[in-house]
Amino acid sequence: MAGIGGAETTGKKVGWGLLNAVVVIYALLPVLWIVSLSFKSSATLADGNFIPREWSLENYRNIFSTSEFTRALINSIGIALIATAIAVVFGTMAAYAIARLDFPGKNLLVGVSLLIAMFPQVSLVSPLFEIERSLGLFDTWPGLILPYITFALPLAIYTLSAFFREIPWELEKAAKMDGATPGQAFRRVIAPLAAPGVFTTAILVFIFCWNDFLFAISLTSTEQSRTVPVALSFFTGSSQFEDPAGSIAAAAVVITIPIILFVLFFQRRIVAGLTSGAVKG
Amino acid sequence: MGANRRHRLAAGVGVALLAASTVTACGSSDDGITVNVYKYPQENFQAIVDNCNAKAAGRYKIVYNKLPREADGQREQMVRRLAAEDDSMDVLGLDVTWTAELAEAGWLKEFTGSVKSQVESGTLRTPLETATYEGKLYAAPDNTNVQLLWYRSDLVPKAPTTWDEMITMAEDLVAQGKPGRIVGQGKQYEGLVVLYNTLVNSNGGKIIDESGTKAVVDDKAVEALAALKKLATSKAIDPSFSNAAEDNARLAMENGNAAFQLNWPYVYAAAQKKPDFAKNFKWAPYPAFGGDKSKVTVGGINFAVSAYTRHPDESFDAVLCLRSAENQKLAALKDGVPPTIEAVYDEPEMAEAYPMRDTIKETLKNASVRPRTPAYQNASTVIATVLSPPASIDPKATGDRLRQELQDALDSKGVLP
Amino acid sequence: MSHATAEKTGAATAEPVAPKKKVALSEGKKAERRLGWLLCAPAALTMVAVTGWPILYSLLLSMQKFDLKFPDRTEWVWFDNYVAVLSSPYWWNAVWVTVVLTVVTVAIELVLGMSLALIMHRALVGRGIVRTTTLIPYGIVTVVAAFSWRFAWTPGTGYLAEALGGEPVLTEKIPALMVVGLAEIWKTTPFMALLLMAGLALVPDDLLKAAAMDGASGWQRFIKITVPIMKPAILVALLFRTLDAFRIFDNLFVLTAGSQGTSSVSMLTYNNLIKGLNLGIGSTMSVLIFIMVAIIAFVFIKLFGTAAPGSDDGGKR
Repeated sequence: MAGIGGAETTGKKVGWGLLNAVVVIYALLPVLWIVSLSFKSSATLADGNFIPREWSLENYRNIFSTSEFTRALINSIGIALIATAIAVVFGTMAAYAIARLDFPGKNLLVGVSLLIAMFPQVSLVSPLFEIERSLGLFDTWPGLILPYITFALPLAIYTLSAFFREIPWELEKAAKMDGATPGQAFRRVIAPLAAPGVFTTAILVFIFCWNDFLFAISLTSTEQSRTVPVALSFFTGSSQFEDPAGSIAAAAVVITIPIILFVLFFQRRIVAGLTSGAVKG
Repeated sequence: MGANRRHRLAAGVGVALLAASTVTACGSSDDGITVNVYKYPQENFQAIVDNCNAKAAGRYKIVYNKLPREADGQREQMVRRLAAEDDSMDVLGLDVTWTAELAEAGWLKEFTGSVKSQVESGTLRTPLETATYEGKLYAAPDNTNVQLLWYRSDLVPKAPTTWDEMITMAEDLVAQGKPGRIVGQGKQYEGLVVLYNTLVNSNGGKIIDESGTKAVVDDKAVEALAALKKLATSKAIDPSFSNAAEDNARLAMENGNAAFQLNWPYVYAAAQKKPDFAKNFKWAPYPAFGGDKSKVTVGGINFAVSAYTRHPDESFDAVLCLRSAENQKLAALKDGVPPTIEAVYDEPEMAEAYPMRDTIKETLKNASVRPRTPAYQNASTVIATVLSPPASIDPKATGDRLRQELQDALDSKGVLP
Repeated sequence: MSHATAEKTGAATAEPVAPKKKVALSEGKKAERRLGWLLCAPAALTMVAVTGWPILYSLLLSMQKFDLKFPDRTEWVWFDNYVAVLSSPYWWNAVWVTVVLTVVTVAIELVLGMSLALIMHRALVGRGIVRTTTLIPYGIVTVVAAFSWRFAWTPGTGYLAEALGGEPVLTEKIPALMVVGLAEIWKTTPFMALLLMAGLALVPDDLLKAAAMDGASGWQRFIKITVPIMKPAILVALLFRTLDAFRIFDNLFVLTAGSQGTSSVSMLTYNNLIKGLNLGIGSTMSVLIFIMVAIIAFVFIKLFGTAAPGSDDGGKR
């Protein structure tokens, strides 16, 4: 605050630099630690050193040599992508309607999605477990995708309607004047303009699905649909008394890569999406 | 509600919605029968599986699926899949304490006829008891386990024979400034229940009655609480006792902090990697409490056949092979897990890898089982919680609380901690 | 979406909103309605199907004795499960753990988040780097971060445990909860900061400059100008973080699995349901958590009125 109107002196720059460094260290420390663990050889794994004394790819070789991890990775990617695609499509349709059309029940929908955004997910675990068991959806991809879509929809609807608010309204009107139906106006005019917002929403929704643990651990039981966060917590190690910490660390690093990429390339979008929707996944 | 859970409304909604995903659903190969075995990660179990596959000569193929290391994780996974009537699990490696629960829920196939008599012949009595529920055999003992007292012969010339003697000896050592500590399992988990069950049974007490429906916690069991407290508050106890599981105890002793260790025989094999330590690493029967002999809690794994298996005959056949005397010997020699077939102890090769085999066999003959009740998981959770941390046990009050909370757990009306 | 609101409130907006006619709906209006319903249908149906029926089902289950281990003993017990849960010390312990964790972490996050927001808003150099790196805690999979903390605090293996003398902090209630709280704070402060930063952007620089000229100190400007203008953003951030913190599960699962009395209400529900296979008790807890969350949300929205999220687009009724 002190900087308002003040001259940009070198001292101040150094001060900010230090402050920035503190923030960066704060944010990265746990990430660097798990990266370091993942590169430690099994002999030095438990030495408590922050930086590996002996670098090794052993842990990565281990996790990619069994289906335990690779299968979970496929599940994670597949489930998150499908859920994201559906949630974004449904969300876009609903957000457009909310932002641009006048119809009864709109407030109800907004209210319901707000409720769901605040919903204690654990409350759904018991009934969903029982319902999915009797429907045969337990431990299947759809069994996870459905709850993911549901909990991603509020996020998608809020973020998207916030983006749609910024789309120049006159263009749609102009299209309609040219004889386009509301549907056509949506497809030809609004959709392309909305694409960046949709893309941002997709990233946020993907992060949400990628991150989920509670549903994944409660509604899966085998490699068939278990996602990486759950597989991590069930890693076995090669014998009963060997701690699989190294494998966990390596797998953890692998599933962090997409997040790092998103953050590096789409930082601005993610910030815009998060703050405009004001909804966290 | 839920009485008839067999019907499956074809997964219409979801599948139609996402037909694509079914492509990835794993299907078993059609070229022959696969028997899926689920067991904790045992280092050389694959070799046993290979033996049995060779013996099956193509009639079926056993596939070893590893479960997590921790018993809770193993149970959680198996039970959840059984609850979902998963037919891709055939043979289950069950902890000895789960038989009652899974049998009562109708998730295990009973062993009958010749399979039953083959399992029973030559198998030690106590392990067999763990596989039995309401007079029926639901599993085949694979390996068993009992804890022994491990001590350092350079510090302790003669092993203590009773609980109090052990504590006194250790306190004397500590008072002399020597690493005379006692290590064991005091963490809030099954290991603590094993310790307590040993003390109660050695003292002739009862935690839960024979029917498995009534919490007893008699005076003898309360005395066992006092014994546990005495250990936990002794000057000689390892300071991290209330957080220690098996491997913490092993490492603490290997690192030279302790002279006494209550632990499973796997610590012997581990110790051999450190020759300096191993030369003074000796064993003795578990110290007695109450009587003149301890009644040590048995651990171990039994093989059961899932009620939902599509190949019951092959599964039973596979079980017989996986636990055959020959394969039990292999497991004992390579992985250090004690056999359940008595004759295996007398095999000549056992003498070298298993110098403590006689002590184990003796202990097994006078061993005790943990309460057999379908609500064991709940009961065990309650025991571990109520007893934690062991140093703050107040025998009388803790006993009353244990009795009451156990009863609620047995009636499955209580809340699990 | 100010469309609907504008009509209701009559607020002057730049948007060309047609005044509502009392006459019968035109064909265009009907078509618009149909399209609106049509577009909302998939989202609405999914949300209702996946939450509506299960909530009712959970109410039904909560009134039954339903233990998967004893399938034959299923029966209606009405409110027995509620009595069992509400008289259980484990439940109340979990409620306290959850409430304390929520209040403490959200309070600390607010302070840290505000500082971070100010740094990101005002930074003279390296603003991009700071924004990018702070997004990592937000984006990282919670379980991954939790494992990182767990290994860091494991005696022997971890740098933090070694630095603090090798005490096993995760095996005692209070230290374990502090570690869990720390993990939560680390993970969610950036999110808080981003929401607050959006609020900071609304504070006009001119106003601050004018105040500075009048001799107001930095702290005074912050308290008297920045905070009041940011109030809606602060409230939104608090609401979301509070409800989110109340649901804490992932970090606890990995760090303590609820042992040593560190269960949150979510963790306890999970343990009773999935570990204990007691659907009756598990569902009862689900319903109770739902009620608690509803109360929190209600209190927030009552207190803050129009500041609640969604109110600008029709949420206020």
